[in-house]
Amino acid sequence: MDKQIDARGLNCPQPVILTKKALDEVREGKITTIVNSEIAKENVKKLAQSMMCDVDIHQVGGDYYIDIFKQKETQEIGGVNPSAHSGLIVFIGSDILGAGDRVLGQILMKGYLKTLLDVCPLPETMIFVNSGVNLTVQGSEALESLKKLEEAGVEILSCGTCLDYYNLKDKLAVGQVSNMYTIVEKLNNGENTIIL
Amino acid sequence: MPLTDFFVLAFDSTHHAIQAEKFLKEAGLKIEVLPTPRDITASCGLSIKFHMDHIEKVKEVIDVSQPTVKLYRGLRLERKTIYLEEEL
Repeated sequence: MDKQIDARGLNCPQPVILTKKALDEVREGKITTIVNSEIAKENVKKLAQSMMCDVDIHQVGGDYYIDIFKQKETQEIGGVNPSAHSGLIVFIGSDILGAGDRVLGQILMKGYLKTLLDVCPLPETMIFVNSGVNLTVQGSEALESLKKLEEAGVEILSCGTCLDYYNLKDKLAVGQVSNMYTIVEKLNNGENTIIL
Repeated sequence: MPLTDFFVLAFDSTHHAIQAEKFLKEAGLKIEVLPTPRDITASCGLSIKFHMDHIEKVKEVIDVSQPTVKLYRGLRLERKTIYLEEEL
């Protein structure tokens, strides 16, 4: 069954939402969405591709006809299996990522931890040492990401000696306190260790 | 969760992004700096994410029509989020 959606003149994200609704309603078949702006065309195409559909676009005057072909039972990719036994250990020895400007380093570290959540496999354990413990304590801007990682099953360990040295012992806000024995064991037994 | 409730502002320049973060925070807006999602191309790699309720205030602080920034609307699908370029 073919369906046509005339989304000409509608503002973003309307054409995309209407197309998504139509795609959700059919199991299989062709849907044509008509839009009249380049950006709307690209947005609808992006949606269709992300829903694993084939897309064919032709232009008639100032209008774009976007034919979207939905296959029956499209296999969705993903189904990712997070952490647990990935064997991946991430060792973080500083509160900034890389050497160089501190402001940039903090932004990069925040970005790294945030992105870690979105990429598989998740680490099995993350170890925070030296100024790295600034990330696991109250007031850290990375706390939200680390809490989500912990919820996802990642073990978060902070070096007790370091927390103590920086007077942060009572400020730990995510994960557990650890000591050098555990840290050495984790590093020695890790199948893949990333040191930052 | 609604299908779409946030925007992402992608920057051409890292310094510009850092400066924008500062201005927006000073204006009291709740925003988040994040690496630009892979789905969005052509940028320095830093973006600012905010709830769509803040769009007017953000526009007061940042000129989103300048060619060095691009505004995207996040759309949550079942398994991923896609980013739709916003027409200005």
